[in-house]
Amino acid sequence: MKSRLSAVLSLVVVAAMLLSACAAPTPQVIEKVVEKPVEKVVQQTVVVEKPVEKQVVVTVTPAPTKAPDATTLPRNETLYFNGFQWGPVVGWNPYSNSMNNAMAIAQGSNARVTMFETPYLYNMLDGKQYPLLADGDYKWNDARTEITFKLKKAARWSDGTPVTAEDVAYTWATHVKYNTGVGAGYKDYIETVQAVDPQTVVIKAKLNAQGKAVNPLVVADYVSSNYVLQKAWTQKLEQRNGNDATKLLADTAEDVVYSGPYHKFFTDDTKVVLIRNDNYWGKDPSMWGKLPAPKYLAHTIFKDNAAGSVALAQGEVDVSQQFNSNIQVLWENYGLPVSTYLPKPPYGIGASLPTAFYNLKAHGLDQVAVRKAIAIAVDYPAIIANAMTNQSATFEQVPRSLMNPTPAEQAMYDREAVKDLQWTGNDIEGAKKLLDEAGIKDTDGDGWREYQGKKLSYVATCPNGWSDWQAAIEIVAAAGKKIGIDITTNYPEWSVYQTVVTKSDAPLPVGYDIFMMWSAGTGPTMPWGRINNLLNSKWIGLSSNWIGNWGQYKNPRVDELLEAIPAETDPAKLKAMYTELVKIYLTDVPSFTLMYRPELFHAVNESVWTGFPYQGDGTNPPVPPLNLINGWSIAGLYNLKLVKK
Amino acid sequence: MKGYRKYFLTKLAWFAITFVFAFVLNFTLPRLMPGDPVAAIVARQAQGISNPIGVQAIYQQYTELFGTNKPIIEQFFIYVKNVLGGDFGFSFSQYPRTVVDVIRASILWTVCLQFPAIIVGWLIGNTLGALAAYLKGGFDKVLMPISIFVSNFPAFGMAVILMVIFGVTLKWFPTSGGYGYDLIPSFDWKFIRSVIVHYQLPFWSIVLIAIGGQAIGMRAMSIYELNADYVKYSRFMGIKDSTIVRYVFRNAMLPQITGLALSIGTMVGGALVAEIVFSYPGLGTTLLTAVMGQDYPLISFATLIITIMVLSATFIIEILYGVIDPRIKAAQAE
Amino acid sequence: MRHTLRQIFRSGKFVVGFSIFMMILLIVIVYPLVVTHPPLEIIGQGTFFPPGIYVSTYDAINAPTTYMLNLTDAAAKRVANKLKNEDRLAMKEWMVAAGVPESEIDIADTESLLTLWKRHYDPNKRMEGMTFARLRYYQRVNAAIEGLLSTEAAIIAAKNRETGALEEVSAVKQTDYVNISEVANVRVLALGTDNFGRDVLTELVRATGVSLQIGFVAGLIATLIGLTLGLLAGYIGGLVDDVIMFFTNLFTVIPGFVLLILISFSIGQDKRGAFTIATVIGLTSWVWTTRAVRAQVMSLRNRDHVNLSKLSGHSIPYIILTDILPYIASYVVMALILQISSGILAEAGLSILGLGPRTTEVPTLGLMMNWAMIYQAPILGKWWAYLPVLVTIALITFSMNLMNTGLDQVFNPALRD
Repeated sequence: MKSRLSAVLSLVVVAAMLLSACAAPTPQVIEKVVEKPVEKVVQQTVVVEKPVEKQVVVTVTPAPTKAPDATTLPRNETLYFNGFQWGPVVGWNPYSNSMNNAMAIAQGSNARVTMFETPYLYNMLDGKQYPLLADGDYKWNDARTEITFKLKKAARWSDGTPVTAEDVAYTWATHVKYNTGVGAGYKDYIETVQAVDPQTVVIKAKLNAQGKAVNPLVVADYVSSNYVLQKAWTQKLEQRNGNDATKLLADTAEDVVYSGPYHKFFTDDTKVVLIRNDNYWGKDPSMWGKLPAPKYLAHTIFKDNAAGSVALAQGEVDVSQQFNSNIQVLWENYGLPVSTYLPKPPYGIGASLPTAFYNLKAHGLDQVAVRKAIAIAVDYPAIIANAMTNQSATFEQVPRSLMNPTPAEQAMYDREAVKDLQWTGNDIEGAKKLLDEAGIKDTDGDGWREYQGKKLSYVATCPNGWSDWQAAIEIVAAAGKKIGIDITTNYPEWSVYQTVVTKSDAPLPVGYDIFMMWSAGTGPTMPWGRINNLLNSKWIGLSSNWIGNWGQYKNPRVDELLEAIPAETDPAKLKAMYTELVKIYLTDVPSFTLMYRPELFHAVNESVWTGFPYQGDGTNPPVPPLNLINGWSIAGLYNLKLVKK
Repeated sequence: MKGYRKYFLTKLAWFAITFVFAFVLNFTLPRLMPGDPVAAIVARQAQGISNPIGVQAIYQQYTELFGTNKPIIEQFFIYVKNVLGGDFGFSFSQYPRTVVDVIRASILWTVCLQFPAIIVGWLIGNTLGALAAYLKGGFDKVLMPISIFVSNFPAFGMAVILMVIFGVTLKWFPTSGGYGYDLIPSFDWKFIRSVIVHYQLPFWSIVLIAIGGQAIGMRAMSIYELNADYVKYSRFMGIKDSTIVRYVFRNAMLPQITGLALSIGTMVGGALVAEIVFSYPGLGTTLLTAVMGQDYPLISFATLIITIMVLSATFIIEILYGVIDPRIKAAQAE
Repeated sequence: MRHTLRQIFRSGKFVVGFSIFMMILLIVIVYPLVVTHPPLEIIGQGTFFPPGIYVSTYDAINAPTTYMLNLTDAAAKRVANKLKNEDRLAMKEWMVAAGVPESEIDIADTESLLTLWKRHYDPNKRMEGMTFARLRYYQRVNAAIEGLLSTEAAIIAAKNRETGALEEVSAVKQTDYVNISEVANVRVLALGTDNFGRDVLTELVRATGVSLQIGFVAGLIATLIGLTLGLLAGYIGGLVDDVIMFFTNLFTVIPGFVLLILISFSIGQDKRGAFTIATVIGLTSWVWTTRAVRAQVMSLRNRDHVNLSKLSGHSIPYIILTDILPYIASYVVMALILQISSGILAEAGLSILGLGPRTTEVPTLGLMMNWAMIYQAPILGKWWAYLPVLVTIALITFSMNLMNTGLDQVFNPALRD
């Protein structure tokens, strides 16, 4: 018996050892994590050695203020986000797309300008680009082949050196040299970016055979979509990675030099925190004239939307960029100080058009009658009410077109001219009639219609786990059943789905007859960019097509119009062209919009901060509801105030 | 002791073989999944690229870097070579982070959440089971069924209910994260307290579920032992009741300890749900996102760690059994 | 046999467990006969309608008879429904901040409060320090009290088909009532609707049925595999034992749940029917049954009656079937019950990770839970979408465990003889 007892005891000892083994490393890891901000300070003080006079004073001050703050983020100095960062941050390299660093790096039409900055900021509400690093508006030359803009004299890097035209030019050169996403995306449209003098940048467009810019819209888009990065630091980066593209893009760039108001403070598996650079150049009167209100921007990493919603309701999140189902419950039933940009459905501004694409090569789907019949039979109100919990404008409010619901885009086509082509859904009788007239009937009495003797049966699909899309696809399938077309649903995993859908150099396989993908949101190239993605036949044949027209639609007239629009500047002519495109789209139905979706979800909790943008808040130019860190919406950070208790 | 050495060596051999096979499976199974993980990385890199040659080039670059273009046998030997050199490769989904880096960040949370939870659940469950067996009556008829009922909630259900009651409604405990959303890890009292407070809901959601199963097992084992001949004999001999009870529970405990070792294997699965509901960092969600992102090296490494943990736990226990359990000793002699 | 049965039903735990289980089974069988709505039919436009009786407003207005009831508290109730006490306090707060003397405001007197409010309230005025959410709150209160004290009838008008003009059809007075049994369309949604707008109760009953089937199939497969392997390993021993234990160990060190996730993901959602899931669960959860059966058999194989049988030259299958199996039969039944309940839990666990059966063919308890979570029912307070599901799962597994404990009590002494 004794031996048994000793065995049990030794087991306990083993367990205790395991436990202590798990307990012991904790301080080590924590120590290591804490070291990081300390390192940062060291770097900064090194920088102090070669400073502009002012610099010395300010860089030293953060150190003592940081010390008491090192372990706690004071609630009234921190703005909390959710819905951007999923999974831990990988690094801080703005050239790379795989840093998974949503609080600091996101280039594009509404670029995230917390840490890195673009020359201009796009405002999706009025469609204009406002200068940030740039000084005044940019100018086209008369031939519309080159853009000239100046940089603000006050603009500074975090190491105190001025932001120069050289930096802008070198950033572009680096993108091209290493074939980064940005380089590859723009090099068909931009010839060079040159520094004329330290303050002046000229962007030369690529020219076509006629000597005109290939696409002036994309050139103009570049200045508000892409960061300016420091030449000196870029060279350092190149050097340490031996000019190797793969290595350079995998470099986590902890030492990156930035120009924005915030920079890295802390990251781990549960959160990412940015801290304000109190020496930010933007407090110069030529830009904001002050510092943004929150000292910290923090983002807790939630595992799913549900957890994020709980935190929003609890007041642990101030700005929410995620789909909060039935968000109105939070204020209507619980009386929480939560609000959205609009007080009533759709609660936000729709920007993109989640779309159901037809595989135009599938049996029967090559017939307009079948495509249109399915599209007009779908119960859109149910999609909007159930899948989106009313967070989308209805098609009664915003009739379908290729435009998003923003007033700027709605004004770009003639609504009346396409009125007869419109549909708002649930038109079962109309759909049946359409099919009957096209001679697509149920000839063998099995309840399903046949085309050329073959039963119409399709699979509608979208990625598994994309809940609102899945709900929408379900409703599409239900519509088919009502009009005698057998539509079943199927949800492959995203990893499989993406490889199939984006392979546009071959016909789509079985199982992808009707499938959902996104469309572009807002930006300086819109609505042209969105339509170009949705309908241009250029994308057919790409082996990895992340752009659009996944159903492989081909219409020479559409291509022609899309070619002509970027060069056109006469609003009347543009309107006519856009109207024609909408007309073709609604007639041919190569794909159809299922709902409107905002560029970014935007809900705020005013437990701590107030002064968030809302419709009619009197800001001029209006601050868009893009979570205060994207494009022009960053202006909102300067309007925040603490709630008086 | 010769018999024991043989027993030990045979066990060791079997464990070694098991480990090798498990290692091969850990490598192979993830790679049998359909889909192309490199395409996902390329998709990230190539967003907005309109020329197919550019995309193709990036794709080439990464297949070469990850070696996914080679035949799987070759990939395996490269993997073995790298692993022997301590290199478990890059995580596909979190590239350029390495697999070791990813796991290192999450494993502590899981181990520190799960080990105590399993042990506490095991202790409470066994105590309850033993008491039920010994006291019988009201305790057995009322408390046992209640604890069984509670344990029969599915893991995520328990987590959600605890969250709604104690987190959302009563606001006694925070609803998400491993520590305060407004804290930066440091080794001070405030942070530790925050960790402990955040620990409570995920911890209890696991413990409450673990209790029932252990209690049922312990109760049954104890009843076996209480009815065993040696107990009757001891009673007959007039040995003190408390002494008998000590023996009884010590014997009943043995199989329960095996259960404890095995539950280490289910640890990751068990923690997964609590991790998701409470946004708690840990191995479970890392593994799940790795599966979703077809992150082969990450899946392989995560499963390898689980394998090693379970294997060493069972090994230790089997070896100890060999020393202490006369029945196994007898079998060795056979 | 009859004796054993009688003994089993004398065990209190077993009877309680059995009754709960049979009740669930009965509901699953009977309910669809009574309520014939398809369980996955989307009836609600909108998400999470609360439990209750839904009366068609249209039919109520057009009910054959309207009854006039003069109830004294009707007006007060009507007001209270739209204007709660906290709203009154908030209105007072606003007006005080706007400079109305506090003494003038009597929040108990609805009429004077509303008059005062109407005179002073400005929907766009934002007080110092007032949050934007509060501003909108007042706007909502203001909208809610519009026409609150009106005593006039509501006019029902219809569109003239030819002219498109509105024409009065009838007027609904505040004292008009209808008898609910005379309204053509009344639907009872005892547990409301879910995020798709489906009747939760009907769905739940069907889901329970499907989950039971999944559990049963999974349990059966796991038990069969476990039993076979356990018998072989335990009785034959030697190399067979070593090989089987090797595989068992292999499946222990790569835990079942991990395998389950990997396999479910690999199968792909398109092929994940309910029974595929059940099979996968069964194939990954036989390990502990094997171990347990093996242990039982090992303790049996040196019993006298087995040795006797061996000496009589019976074949191994014969011995296993006649001398071993009957002795562990009760144990196997118990293992099966446990496997069924853990199969149900496994399905639920998989579904909550988004790896469950295909959504749209059949509901399962796990899928219902998963969708309730995706649409954030817990934080929105939509308890009916997830709590009944959880309780059902708990009740099923609880009843099975209870039966098991009961059986244990009955059978174990026999095993120890």
